[in-house]
Amino acid sequence: MLDVAFSKLAAPKTGAVVLLLAEDEQLSGLAAGLNEASGGAVARALEVAGFKGQKGKTALLLAPVAGLTRVLAYGLGKRMELTTSVLEEAGGCIAATLAAETQATIIAEGIGGAEAAHIAYGAVLRSYRFDLYRTKEKLEDKPKLAGIAVLLADATKARAAFVPLKAVAEGIFLTRDLVTEPANILTPAVMAERCKELTKLGVKVEILGPKEMTKLGFGALMGVAQGSVQEPRMVVMQWNGAGTRRARKPLVFVGKGVTFDSGGISIKPAAGMEDMKWDMAGAGAVIGLMAALAGRKAKADVVGIVGLVENMISGNAQRPGDVVTSYSGQTIEVLNTDAEGRLVLADVLWYAQEKFDPAFMVNLATLTGAIIVALGQEHGGLFSNDDELSQKLLAAGTETGEKLWRMPLGDAYDRAIKSDIADMKNIGGRYGSAIIAAQFIQRFVNGKPWAHLDIAGMAWSGKDTAITPKGATAYGVRLLDQLVRAHYES
Amino acid sequence: MLPPQPALSLIGSAELAPQTTLVIPVIGGAIPADVAAAAAAGGFTGAKGDTLRLHAPSPDHAGRSVLLLGLGKGGEAKAEAAGAAAAAALGSLRHIAIDGRALPRGLSVPLALGAALRAWRMPQYRQGEMPDDICRIDRIDLVVEDPERLGRRFEEAQITVEAVCFAKTLTAEPSNILTPAAFIKRLSKLEKVGIAVEVIEGKALAREGLNLLAAVGRGSANPPALVILRWPGTLDAPPVTFVGKGITFDTGGISIKSADHMWDMRGDMGGAAVCAGAMLALARRKTPAPVSAVLALAENMVSGEAYRPGDVVQSHSGLTVEIIDTDAEGRLVLADALSYALAHLKPRAIVDVATLTYAVGAALGQEMAGVYANDTVLAANLAAAGEKVSERLWRLPMTDRDRDALASDIADIKQCLAGKLVPDASLAAAFLSRFVGDTPWAHIDIGGTDAREEADERYPAGPTAFGLRLLDQLIALRYEDPDHP
Repeated sequence: MLDVAFSKLAAPKTGAVVLLLAEDEQLSGLAAGLNEASGGAVARALEVAGFKGQKGKTALLLAPVAGLTRVLAYGLGKRMELTTSVLEEAGGCIAATLAAETQATIIAEGIGGAEAAHIAYGAVLRSYRFDLYRTKEKLEDKPKLAGIAVLLADATKARAAFVPLKAVAEGIFLTRDLVTEPANILTPAVMAERCKELTKLGVKVEILGPKEMTKLGFGALMGVAQGSVQEPRMVVMQWNGAGTRRARKPLVFVGKGVTFDSGGISIKPAAGMEDMKWDMAGAGAVIGLMAALAGRKAKADVVGIVGLVENMISGNAQRPGDVVTSYSGQTIEVLNTDAEGRLVLADVLWYAQEKFDPAFMVNLATLTGAIIVALGQEHGGLFSNDDELSQKLLAAGTETGEKLWRMPLGDAYDRAIKSDIADMKNIGGRYGSAIIAAQFIQRFVNGKPWAHLDIAGMAWSGKDTAITPKGATAYGVRLLDQLVRAHYES
Repeated sequence: MLPPQPALSLIGSAELAPQTTLVIPVIGGAIPADVAAAAAAGGFTGAKGDTLRLHAPSPDHAGRSVLLLGLGKGGEAKAEAAGAAAAAALGSLRHIAIDGRALPRGLSVPLALGAALRAWRMPQYRQGEMPDDICRIDRIDLVVEDPERLGRRFEEAQITVEAVCFAKTLTAEPSNILTPAAFIKRLSKLEKVGIAVEVIEGKALAREGLNLLAAVGRGSANPPALVILRWPGTLDAPPVTFVGKGITFDTGGISIKSADHMWDMRGDMGGAAVCAGAMLALARRKTPAPVSAVLALAENMVSGEAYRPGDVVQSHSGLTVEIIDTDAEGRLVLADALSYALAHLKPRAIVDVATLTYAVGAALGQEMAGVYANDTVLAANLAAAGEKVSERLWRLPMTDRDRDALASDIADIKQCLAGKLVPDASLAAAFLSRFVGDTPWAHIDIGGTDAREEADERYPAGPTAFGLRLLDQLIALRYEDPDHP
């Protein structure tokens, strides 16, 4: 992870320097000093570049002052409209633009300590890179930025504010690592082992294997798993941060973790099937969330549960038409083996509500293609039986930029999964299939307050965005961390 | 030959013929004493949706059949559904009566309305016997104590039936019968009730700059047209304008559709039919609100004249459009219609209705239509109107990112994106939003709700005219108050 330091304001003498400039403001303080040292070259260059501090605009000056390699001017827009997300985007842009430098000094004069921490946060999040399997890349092709220093008046406050942000960033990186790992490396067993690392943070981790789950009666989850030689796992992670002040119902987060999804006998088309290594992104986000909450010592009791399976084709694979008995006792006719995520969630959610009597359950899953057709790649789909929980989630999404859009539920959709032979079937017709999937899951929450986040469009990004390099986004970690922070830690 | 819809009339007890089959609604389990024993034997409790048919069950009903109809605890929306259930159960009869004498007014009229709407049937072109599952009902009488008292309310229900059935029949007509020109001829029904009908066609389309509409219609031997319907109303306010997609048949054009289900595309003018039907309803009930509609009529065919993917066309608004997929033609004709409406009708609000995308059905299924809007108040009013008539809407996102995604290398805007896993309904809305300026505008995508393959509780098989009652209700809720026109 990028090394971050916060220091008192002092004119930088070497390396790359970043000036954060608000719109239509004169150079002042250290920036003015730098301009003076350059003999007015900085101001002239900014004028020629048409740079006036417009939001997101940059101007890069090469060696304008002796000793400095680069000066990057970054526009913050109107000072009155400055938000933490603008500062995070600034940090992200700085990390991307100065990747060839080894060290960057960011002058954050006039920005408060709590806010300035978000500059570093953005830079850290954007500088993530998964390098494990690049063995021949030349050194000069690799990004070199190893550290940033943020200069500001209240460095102490910034340092303190950055501590919890760094913990969340660690969680996000863990999620991105897990989601990026290929499926031959990250099997259910390996993924469960990775969860054990959370014990270092004080998380209680319990792992259930096929024997335990069969004994419990997880017929839906085990049916999905049976086609693979990789054994399934369920991991229960508990963080008890609320202390003993008073007993409260825990918050429960549940993740779909299909480490590879071939579709099973209802096999997927070959094109794009490689993407199915990230069909465990819901579980990945829950694991990263638990790391984030424990890392920043969140004052809440939280349980994360992930169901980990591989959906493969073999002589022992589950068939379309099979009927399985879920842990809840309800029977399911499996008409499409590629609608497997809901089968995994069915057993895990029923287990979660039975075992923990949760305040609420939120599950994350890369569940349907239909949600991508409905909402594209800008909003995750939110389905819920609880308006208050929904409002909190929608607000947390807006605050973190991990946006949600609420989708409907209703009896008419529920009727679509009526089966002629079992209590329900696992798919409906061609219409509204993301909603129908949510209706299916709702049958396994036993009336508890619950939200289902369909993140199939959000878990992976084909291109870089401000604070997320292309690839695994870890969508959900910041969103749910914010949900907990805003409502459940007082 | 049977007309496609039943006649709906209001009668007093004296006019009820002794042999007419009578529907007896049962609220809260209160079964009439003279049939109670038979009801108990048949397991009828009066629960919502329960029906039981009895033949000559008592001296009062010595010459007729009776259908007991359970309303549960009752409620207006439920009453429509119950009426539909009654019509479905008695579809083999020509003439039925509904006993409204023991019902509050708020229930008896919706009950009759629900029955009449459910009794609509596809236009029948067959020569021989009608199959059993086609509803035969051609007369429904609502029996009440005092027919005078229900007058206006009942008349509005009659108007709703007339307008909805008009739109459904238009939508169901095969495309060799209902060409753009034939569609226009059918609008004479609207002229008779005081709606002015203006038609722009032939060379005038190019003269007006309606090039997108012309391009879509160019491949067909049945030429396109833009139709403007105007109802002046009495209030001093700019009109609310409806815009409808009227593709009388959609082959997809050069980007041709697959053969399975292509027959369904005769209904791709459903949006225009809904708008025309709403105008009919509003004029028949003499709304004081000025209302207009613009219908973009064309047939999207494949021929040597057809427009091509890759073509660039200048729209009525002036924006140039790069064609990516000739099967995304609806948004093209709507773009010109919206822009024309803005320029010539200067509406206070504009609502378009279209069978626009498959994506909206994938997103929301067949229960709710998607609504996109640049105006929160208009969207909320539409949603409220929809709740009232059980044509429910769900708002879907339309973002700057969707707009940005339509950047073209060669023109001002691209019509759509290629590929399957794209939010095509949102992209279509984002495309349309470029043609409405700042006028409050909403777009209702009925791509999933426009028809039923099989009859269900509420709808017979075929078109639903989803959106028609909603538009009528929108005007009633928001635009008829003389103090706040």
